[in-house]
Amino acid sequence: MRAASWGALLLALAGLALAQTPSDDPRGVVGPPRGQPLQGAALETRTKQVAALLRCPVCQGLSVADSPSPTAQNMKAHVRELVAAGYDQDQILAYFERSYGEFVRLEPARRGVNWLVWIAPVAGLLLGVGVVLFALRSPKPAPTAAAGVDPLSLPEDPRLAAYMLKVRELAYGWPGGVPPRPESR
Amino acid sequence: MNRRVLVAGALVVLPLLAVLVMNLGRDPHSIRSPLIGRPAPPFELRPVGGGGPRSLASLRGKPVVLNFWATWCMPCLEEHAALTAGARRYEPGVQFLGIVYDDEEARATSFLKQRGSSYPSLMDEGGRTAIVYGVAGVPETYFIDASGKVVSKYAGPLSPEVLAALVREAGGAS
Amino acid sequence: MTPALGRALILLALLLSTVGSTVAFASGRRPTAAGLRWTRRFAYAFAAAIAAANAVMLYALLAHDFSVSYVAHVGSRAVPTWVSFVSLWSSLEGSILFWGLVLGAYVAAATWALRDDHPEYMPYATGVWLATAAFFCFLLAGPAQPFATQSPVPADGPGPNPLLQNHVLMAIHPPCLYLGYVGMTIPFGLACAALLAGRLGHGFLRPLRTWLLLPWIFLTMAVVLGGWWAYEVLGWGGYWAWDPVENASLLPWLTATAALHSALLSERKGVLKGWTVTLVLGSFLLTILGTFMTRSGVFNSVHSFTQSAIGPTILAFLAAATIFSVLLLALRIDRLAPEGQLVNGPGRDALFLLNNLVFVLFTFTVLIGTVFPLVVEAVNGAQMSVGRPYFDRMAVPLGAALLFLMGVGPALPWGRATSEQVRRALLPPTGAGLGLAGLGFLLGARSPWTLLTLFFGGYTAYVTFVELWLPVRQRMRSGEGIVEAFAEAQLRRGRRRFGGYVVHAGATIVIVSIAVSSTMGVSKEVQLREGERFDLGAYSLTFVKAESVAEPHRNAVVARVGVSRNGRELGEMTPRMNQYDSQREPIGTPAVRTFLTEDLYLSVMNIDPERGTLGLLAMINPMVGWIWIATGIMALGGVIALVPQRTAAASRPAPLAVPAASGAAAEGSR
Repeated sequence: MRAASWGALLLALAGLALAQTPSDDPRGVVGPPRGQPLQGAALETRTKQVAALLRCPVCQGLSVADSPSPTAQNMKAHVRELVAAGYDQDQILAYFERSYGEFVRLEPARRGVNWLVWIAPVAGLLLGVGVVLFALRSPKPAPTAAAGVDPLSLPEDPRLAAYMLKVRELAYGWPGGVPPRPESR
Repeated sequence: MNRRVLVAGALVVLPLLAVLVMNLGRDPHSIRSPLIGRPAPPFELRPVGGGGPRSLASLRGKPVVLNFWATWCMPCLEEHAALTAGARRYEPGVQFLGIVYDDEEARATSFLKQRGSSYPSLMDEGGRTAIVYGVAGVPETYFIDASGKVVSKYAGPLSPEVLAALVREAGGAS
Repeated sequence: MTPALGRALILLALLLSTVGSTVAFASGRRPTAAGLRWTRRFAYAFAAAIAAANAVMLYALLAHDFSVSYVAHVGSRAVPTWVSFVSLWSSLEGSILFWGLVLGAYVAAATWALRDDHPEYMPYATGVWLATAAFFCFLLAGPAQPFATQSPVPADGPGPNPLLQNHVLMAIHPPCLYLGYVGMTIPFGLACAALLAGRLGHGFLRPLRTWLLLPWIFLTMAVVLGGWWAYEVLGWGGYWAWDPVENASLLPWLTATAALHSALLSERKGVLKGWTVTLVLGSFLLTILGTFMTRSGVFNSVHSFTQSAIGPTILAFLAAATIFSVLLLALRIDRLAPEGQLVNGPGRDALFLLNNLVFVLFTFTVLIGTVFPLVVEAVNGAQMSVGRPYFDRMAVPLGAALLFLMGVGPALPWGRATSEQVRRALLPPTGAGLGLAGLGFLLGARSPWTLLTLFFGGYTAYVTFVELWLPVRQRMRSGEGIVEAFAEAQLRRGRRRFGGYVVHAGATIVIVSIAVSSTMGVSKEVQLREGERFDLGAYSLTFVKAESVAEPHRNAVVARVGVSRNGRELGEMTPRMNQYDSQREPIGTPAVRTFLTEDLYLSVMNIDPERGTLGLLAMINPMVGWIWIATGIMALGGVIALVPQRTAAASRPAPLAVPAASGAAAEGSR
């Protein structure tokens, strides 16, 4: 008796040690459930929440919650079972990632290289605010009157502009009133 | 020459172009299976048409060709002949197994009776085994070596040539 | 014969655009009257050639001429005529040909509209336009030939993708998108011209702004039409999934909107000219990037065309155009010196900058998110996804920030405002904000972001309404009636301003509707037998019958569902599951019924007419209809702002007769 129960224990431990591979039993993959078992409306809400974070491997453009394909429907049913058993979101996502790969997570996992995509918008915000503050604060020398007027710009009114061109042509000999080599401001 | 603009522009543009160039030719829809190189997930399923449950563990010691299929799937019908012939050719050194994906037992039974089969097909209740294997659609075939490790995964209908090559890779002599 | 004619026209267009571009740039460096004239002629000639090529293709499609390779790929005798018509843009080569048509039309229109003005800029602009056109003609002559000869000539073709055949929006969304996308080439040319000429005068900012606004209007409609189409056709009940191709259409819209605001500051105060030009260049480059994303097959998208040799070619053009733009900016941006100064401190100037910040940050975030899976795969080979949950999480605060800025910006005066002014400007609208948020709370809104968005929405609506009303009230004070005051103040005099605030009003409704529809909807999935019913909110739905329907190009199973609301019968809705011969999986078409404040949305999950069973997804989507309507309001606002003011629309200057003036001018100049 005792030998058999020790043997069973050893076997169980060996089974746990082999828990590298995905298996039917999520316990082998992600450990025991970390959350509370759910039922009823809370179960449905949570299922939809978690399923919305899984990518349908078939249609690939939709989440498991939205996709009508049979694979997605099966995955969603499995998610519901796991939620009902009390597994939390991270565990469920890790469980599916074991089988389908990182691809199946619609939201990038916060680890390794992926941190870049989470930090980038924040970094962009900080950089942008810095640029805006710089643009508002830098004391520009008051533009001189000469720099304020573009000597070669034309008035908005097209009739005036046409006359301006003609005048330039007459005054300077520019063909069409346009300077042969446009000067810089 | 405005240095700041040049540097800022280069910093934005060059990495983006580099990323795009490096990804030319990739097929974004083919996703590699994370199971490759790892032990094949265990299962124990009931054969189509009745009988005692078959487990993957019991086949340890010889290569296994594990084919997920369904009667409503056209390419599965296409490859059925190749698989049936392959099983006859490679057995008993290599074990062929089918797993029926999201289908009814009655339809699978009548299909196999009609088309003939040379290896057992198992029913996958609720598609759990398919999920564990990361099956996205059918047909998908997993090639497992004698030690129980997944060597390769092939998505799509198998031709005799591809089947032969992948069986060889999994350690099955012809 | 037809393929050869088409090929000849494309080669002609290629020749005209290449030579024309050279002539134009030469004219820019050494302007002559003849050079300007010839530049314009080449522009018109290119437009004519590419239009003719499109006409030939249309003829081939409608006449089912399967000797043309493109027609053999997408044509079919079995489809309705309108489907044959829209097949022009339904697949890769045809869509590039259509791109050429739209580009030709824009180039011709812009050349004609600006034919007498800005001779120091126009040749450069035309040169850039024709160079871009030359690239697309090169695509049509090489990697993406629509007019290859198909031999042997098949008797019939497969028709376009079935998903493109079952909704009328297929006829509207792509042309609208092209009118927006391709149109960005025009302001790009104008901006390059400003850089090449070395200045950006007040007079040239006008056409730059106008020709940025016109494609912007189309792009605004196109982005939302894409969402509407997905909503009506795909069956998952949403309208935006942050798919790479969807993002591709959004990115240039974001930068173009930022550019419109920045251009306003440039025109008004003479500042930020270099930045405006940068945004305009960026908008065009993002359209080329978008084209690459859609057509290269590199991105994981449900919309992508199949991968072909065209990807690397477009990437090469993108690289060339981008490097050209950066170099041009680096070399010339210092010449676009400001004429005024931005005012530091609370006031509209600062808020314009914040507006640009948010739009650019939004662009940056969406771009990074879309490209990131490629980055990771290049770095360590891992295949990961950046999907809807990530983008939604980022977009929500950004959208709320935009809504907030739309409210605070117009409320504050220009320049530096005193704290008293700030208080007086910013306090009153809070009442409206609290009111709308409170109303939302009463109706069930609980998500903090939704309540915040509702608060901002009420705030901004108040501010926008005040801005629309004030000029009218001003005129009414001097005795005018309300209609006359409105017409005079807003329609005849203040069109740009009025149009702008109409756009803001529309945008406010869009953002609020998106927030409400995303968080306050309900949905239920049920399995039913014939005759069974269930309730969803105020609706009672009865599964009447499942019927099989055979149509020429597809077989369908239709679920007849009786609908009643609060006891009142509303008739039947018929979501269906379609099986096309060419597709393995069936494709569902949802049934959508729009009411004033919500949509009832039914989608078939599974259906069996023999057993009489139905798996139905039923959703109530609040405020979705308002997204479409409000986008129309935004477009209307853009059109109002686009109509030129009376002074500028005055007669074109008659050819000047300045007879003896040479002598008089010489006299007078002494």
